[in-house]
Amino acid sequence: MRKRYLLSGLAVAALAAAALGWQVWQPQPAARPSPMASVFEASDAYQFDPPAPGSYRLNRIKSAPDGRVLDINGREHGLHDLTRGKISLVSFVYLTCGDVNGCPLAMSVFFDVHDASRDLPGLNEDVQLLTISFDPDRDTVEAIEAFAYPITSDEQAGDKLDWHVLTTSGSQALAPILDGYGQVVDRSEDQETISHLLRLYLVDRQGDIRNVYGLGFLDPRLLLTDIETLLMEEAGA
Amino acid sequence: MKRREFGALAAGALAMGLPFRAFADETCQSPYMPKITGQEEFVYVWTLGVEGMGDEQDKLVTIDLRPGSGTRGQVINSVSVGGRNEAHHGGFSADRRYFWTGGLDTNRIFIFDVHSDPSNPKLHKTIDTFVKDSGGVVGPHTFFALPGSMMITGLSNDDDHGGRTALVEYNDDGDYVATYWMPTTADMQGAVAVGDAVADGYGYDIRALIRKNVMLTSSFTGWSNYMMDFGQMLQDGEAMKRFGNTIVQWDLHTRQPKKVFNVPGAPLEIRFPWGSNANYAFSTTALTSQLWLIYEDEAGEWQAKAVADIGNPADIPLPVDISIAADDQTLWINSFMDGKTRLFDISDPHKPFQIYEKVIDRQVNMVSQSWDGKRVYFSSSLLANWDKKGDDDVQYLKAYNWDGKELVEDFAVDFYELGLGRAHIMRFGSSALYSS
Repeated sequence: MRKRYLLSGLAVAALAAAALGWQVWQPQPAARPSPMASVFEASDAYQFDPPAPGSYRLNRIKSAPDGRVLDINGREHGLHDLTRGKISLVSFVYLTCGDVNGCPLAMSVFFDVHDASRDLPGLNEDVQLLTISFDPDRDTVEAIEAFAYPITSDEQAGDKLDWHVLTTSGSQALAPILDGYGQVVDRSEDQETISHLLRLYLVDRQGDIRNVYGLGFLDPRLLLTDIETLLMEEAGA
Repeated sequence: MKRREFGALAAGALAMGLPFRAFADETCQSPYMPKITGQEEFVYVWTLGVEGMGDEQDKLVTIDLRPGSGTRGQVINSVSVGGRNEAHHGGFSADRRYFWTGGLDTNRIFIFDVHSDPSNPKLHKTIDTFVKDSGGVVGPHTFFALPGSMMITGLSNDDDHGGRTALVEYNDDGDYVATYWMPTTADMQGAVAVGDAVADGYGYDIRALIRKNVMLTSSFTGWSNYMMDFGQMLQDGEAMKRFGNTIVQWDLHTRQPKKVFNVPGAPLEIRFPWGSNANYAFSTTALTSQLWLIYEDEAGEWQAKAVADIGNPADIPLPVDISIAADDQTLWINSFMDGKTRLFDISDPHKPFQIYEKVIDRQVNMVSQSWDGKRVYFSSSLLANWDKKGDDDVQYLKAYNWDGKELVEDFAVDFYELGLGRAHIMRFGSSALYSS
């Protein structure tokens, strides 16, 4: 009996130790900062504080269009297959764009959000980034693959948002996507110069465009605040 | 969070205010749209049809402004819209490919394609469901372009046809998005009345300072007044009480009202300057003939105060349209009753003063200037029932050159002589905006 009690006591102690050890050694999921925008410092470029997430409503502006796109491996996807199921930030760029207030700014904002998402645990389960080229002749699969190398080679990519860098097979496949989003692109007669208005689109999980951002509102704090507002809406808050 | 190099460049540009200049329109337009920094090639005039004149219909009139053109200063195209709607204001979409115009009486919205052939706009789409879409808003007035959408101010409502109204947002395809009612004393929607302001719920113009996330709206009067004969209204004591006395500060991003300012006497047009550190806007009051400044104070709070009289307020010159120079140093102010334009020095926005005036004609309403300020255009009509009668009812577009000292007339187009109607809002066009 005593031995049995002793064995039982050892077993309980071992279980307790194991439990304690689990508590000591198993990492707890880190809490996501709230508001999420707090991962960014204020910038002089945006002279206002973002609103409190969930304190306002983001209207359904229109449905985001479908279309056929190519990823960096040359695989074709339906755009809806990519955008539906996660909240998406979508931008249109071309890789040779030299306007600092154009594509480079959009890419900079995306890199900021992408980097910051490492500090927002679990956000990558709900949110993703999509960059779509509107210059498919020059932004070939090989070109976007090279461009995406810093993203695909990022050792911390698993902790960050998925970032789909996409192009299309040509202008015929691209046109309905641009038209559907309302992204205006003007090409010069020699096709060398592309004029465009910088726009980012926030697309919800159901595929509706919920905000369109132009210059002046590309504050990463504002983007994260809108994303957090959508997440709160989904949660019924 | 450290930005990458190109991000830093862009941030630096933002800090210098460059995008607001680079993407601004010629002096008074939504800061989101491309602008014509060189020579405007066309001016589009949204024109009220007149019974018994020409085809009697409202129309978009295109006048050639191209230097050296054989038709410079002449009407080269006109698109009629099939009836009279009390044509009034209009604005381009943010991509500047479409020109949205409204009818204050019928509530119809006409969207013209101005990019396929800038010399010859075509009617692209008509929205006939504004009142139903919006939940009872009447009188689509200002069309202010936002990325992906158009914000439209109402003047009235279909309940009592008074001044209580709302902002209405459509997407760029012309589909309804949302309605945002003006705050009233009964429903402040979280806004705060400043001082003795009384939230009247009226609407008129809208402008925004993106960098500060500030949107301002002004207040005029409802359908029952703007469709009434002007002389009759002046004799109607009750009608004269039904004018707006407020400017509302909104959160541009959330579309939520924040503050209601007391600005008595129907504040109409609102203009923000372009400077990267210019945190203020101007407005003028129609009935009290004052120039108002809405500004951010040293504590970061927005305030409103009268900063100058326009003419002799006792004469009720009725200030109407205003146009701010791209360098923020001067402001053109038209007054309808005396037919004058006045130029104010606004280099110190807290102490503006008049530096020039000129009678344009027996009545004048709208003013538009080129980005470089060297060309200034005027048009004549206020409202069909408010325009002067008889020989004083002159209807025109007049083009002037401004040399810094004097307005010198370049050409004039007589809209009655050509059987066109009453000339209202003017907007510039150029084929250089579209490369394909």
